[in-house]
Amino acid sequence: MRDVAFGQYYPAKSFVHKCDPRLKLVFLIVYIVAIFLCKSFYALGACALVFLLIAAFSGVPFKSLFRSVRAVIFLVVFTAILNLLFYNGETPIWEGFFLTWEAVYFTLFLAARLFLLVLGSSLLTLTTTPVSLTDGLEGLLFPLKWIRFPVHELALIMSIALRFIPILTDETGRIMNAQKARGTDFETGGLIKRVKAITPILIPLLISAIRRADELGDAMDARCYSGSKKRTKYKKLKFTWRDLIAFLVMGALLAGVIVMKIYLPAVI
Amino acid sequence: MEAIKFEKVYFSYEDGEETDDELFGNRPTFSLDGIDLTVQEGEFVAVLGHNGSGKSTLARLTNGLLEPQSGKITVLGIDTGADKNIFEVRKNVGIVFQNPDNQTVASIVEDDVAFGPENIGMPRKEIGERIDFALNAVGMQEYRYATTTRLSGGQKQRIAIAGVLALKPKIMILDESTAMLDPRGRKEVLDVVCKLNKEEGITVLLITHFPEEAMLADRALVMDHGKIVMEGEPQEILAREAELEKYSLTLPRSLKICRALQNGGLDIADSYSVEEIAESIAEKVKKTGAGTQPTTSENREELRWCEDGRGEIVCENLSYTYNEKSAFATHALCGVDLHIPTGAFYGIIGHTGSGKSTFVQHLNALIKLPTAEKKYKEKKNKKNASTVASTVLKVNGYDLSDKKTDFLALRRSVGMVFQYPEYQLFAESVYEDVAFGLKNFRKEMTEAEVTDAVREALETVGLSYEEVKNRSPFELSGGQRRRVAIAGVIVTKPEILVLDEPAAGLDPLGKEDVMKLLHKIHADWCKTVIIVSHDMDEISENCTGAAIFSEGKVLAARSPKELFQDGEYTQKAGLDLPFTAKLVNALKNRGVEIDCDLTTADFVAKILAICGNGADSAKGGGYDA
Repeated sequence: MRDVAFGQYYPAKSFVHKCDPRLKLVFLIVYIVAIFLCKSFYALGACALVFLLIAAFSGVPFKSLFRSVRAVIFLVVFTAILNLLFYNGETPIWEGFFLTWEAVYFTLFLAARLFLLVLGSSLLTLTTTPVSLTDGLEGLLFPLKWIRFPVHELALIMSIALRFIPILTDETGRIMNAQKARGTDFETGGLIKRVKAITPILIPLLISAIRRADELGDAMDARCYSGSKKRTKYKKLKFTWRDLIAFLVMGALLAGVIVMKIYLPAVI
Repeated sequence: MEAIKFEKVYFSYEDGEETDDELFGNRPTFSLDGIDLTVQEGEFVAVLGHNGSGKSTLARLTNGLLEPQSGKITVLGIDTGADKNIFEVRKNVGIVFQNPDNQTVASIVEDDVAFGPENIGMPRKEIGERIDFALNAVGMQEYRYATTTRLSGGQKQRIAIAGVLALKPKIMILDESTAMLDPRGRKEVLDVVCKLNKEEGITVLLITHFPEEAMLADRALVMDHGKIVMEGEPQEILAREAELEKYSLTLPRSLKICRALQNGGLDIADSYSVEEIAESIAEKVKKTGAGTQPTTSENREELRWCEDGRGEIVCENLSYTYNEKSAFATHALCGVDLHIPTGAFYGIIGHTGSGKSTFVQHLNALIKLPTAEKKYKEKKNKKNASTVASTVLKVNGYDLSDKKTDFLALRRSVGMVFQYPEYQLFAESVYEDVAFGLKNFRKEMTEAEVTDAVREALETVGLSYEEVKNRSPFELSGGQRRRVAIAGVIVTKPEILVLDEPAAGLDPLGKEDVMKLLHKIHADWCKTVIIVSHDMDEISENCTGAAIFSEGKVLAARSPKELFQDGEYTQKAGLDLPFTAKLVNALKNRGVEIDCDLTTADFVAKILAICGNGADSAKGGGYDA
């Protein structure tokens, strides 16, 4: 198990966890495109069905899955109110009332779409470690090498950043504690006071980050690092039968949504 | 063939690093000042020297991270000066650096070990074999897919060694690679290094400031001001007390005891082994005919309980869990009971993860008890009310389980110095940094009063106020910065001072200095001093009492004498014994019972008393002799 102490990765050994990160990334993109192609509740329902199917095979409890939605509830409610009030519909719910059926449909549709988007993205981060996400991204961006885009460097920067997140988080905690012990008050006071209280944390943290970067640079040099030239890569991502199944599901979803877009009446 | 060859090598950092040292005047200071050095293949060489003596520069020059101003360096016959050779040199010379966190590139062990071979464009299949080989050599196969941040310090360093080994170097340099590790981690790393030298025939250059580590080598060098000043067999070099002192180094602990006994008139031979020393002492004791005269030693722990609880810590049934209600929940403390009396110089020992750091963070409410949280409502927590209510935590007379307690006042009276405190300095001048806490806690103080307090604190830690007050803390040396950081805590005159590994990462002399400083602070400033430490000798030499933490519980809390004498508790917690305790036990096995408080001074005095050499002459043979 490649566990991580940060991010929202949920450790498990499910079908979805074992899929190739490149495929998962592509799947997410297709899923998002499909959601935006949806013009009817049926199509959206199809997307929801696919999502539920994957979620059921992911081994991630629904509770942790829906925790990620909490953050966007406010946004959904806010847009819902605006839509209800300002959408120009034609059939009022009852005579003389400002709310129209169209506004209600439209609002529900948007809310469902937003939830599905967020749920899909969190399912990816819940089932994929940041490290393999980086690997996947590097794999997907690989063709850009031919236009001299520094794919390898970008991937290395990302993986080093990921590797130092827990270290710098610890360090922040330590420095915060040290300054708290010296009487800094982070909990009370106005905005300006609180921002001021951060200085004694930021400066040591910045210095430490620079020092670490310097030492890491030396350590990388000492291990013959010289950029991407003639560098090989040990870890190779491989597609398996799981990825084939996922690929077929993905194709079916896209095709289904397109067909429905053509033949079904649109809500919006 | 010579593995490493230096011929008249001079090196100075660009612009000839500014120095305020009067000794050097305007002369450019060389980090390496004409070094001639030859290391044979397969040799194990230790390089000793105080901070800034040029040891690390030597390491960096050897694998081409730095280039000399003049002179020639060859590695296995390859000239490091030519740019085209640079990768050939680096492939053959691996360096393991000091900080385990700052030399790992990847999040997964396997990926990190693969980094070197990937860089030289090795085919995939071979990289896999190299990873197997390297992880096997350092005994970390089972951690192949582990996350690097989750490993212990010793394990991280072993991974760093594996990362270097994967390039199959012929030479390995360890640049103070053990300085930041606890004794267990240090042993892990040194065992691996010795094995690589013996079994794989790798040439090892071990840079260290611990004399005990240099003992492992075939040959030892001592560096001072960029020159090699001593060279020879480690046993022989480490016995030259006067010379070592001149270069700011110390004798190994075993020799210190031998010398103290010799100074007291006991005629025994120098030795590095506990058994040998015990043997020769036992012989002397039997020869003098005095036999075993059990002289009792006073227990150092003075229990002074006072009415108002000032300087005192009472803790009962304290538990704490990190990340409660998540998949990563860890029980750091499980029912800790500990009483620390006023006036104690108290030690808290245990391995990383034993809960000692969590415990000390409770002492000034950096971690608050649930009952002290603002949100806490008694009704709401009825379910756990029984367990929560039975927790008692009183520090310096403040009740930490009560949310009405004045926590700011508590923090003022309980000073906390964290590990590597110098990394928390931030202000533009030393003065501002030291005054920071004071200005937070005592806003009513006038600038003049603040100045007086800052001056007093800086002078106490042994820095000259006039000299350092306007300097940036970042210009100072490592040891000075640590002093500034300690001054920044004691400036508020806390009654209890807690220090987490105050001597970590310092050389032996620096460690002694910090301990002396703490005794001074204990005598003049604070009622109670508490140190968290991995170093059993540090505890036995300095503390009046100590508690061993293991798996979130207090295994035992006694005076060092009772704690270490039979070795039962330390064994349970997987800790080492202090050197004196090992000696006492070895003597006991030879029928000589010594009842001492386990400080070097007392041990020596007791031995001399038994042998009839009189205790008076031994007084000078203290631990800092």
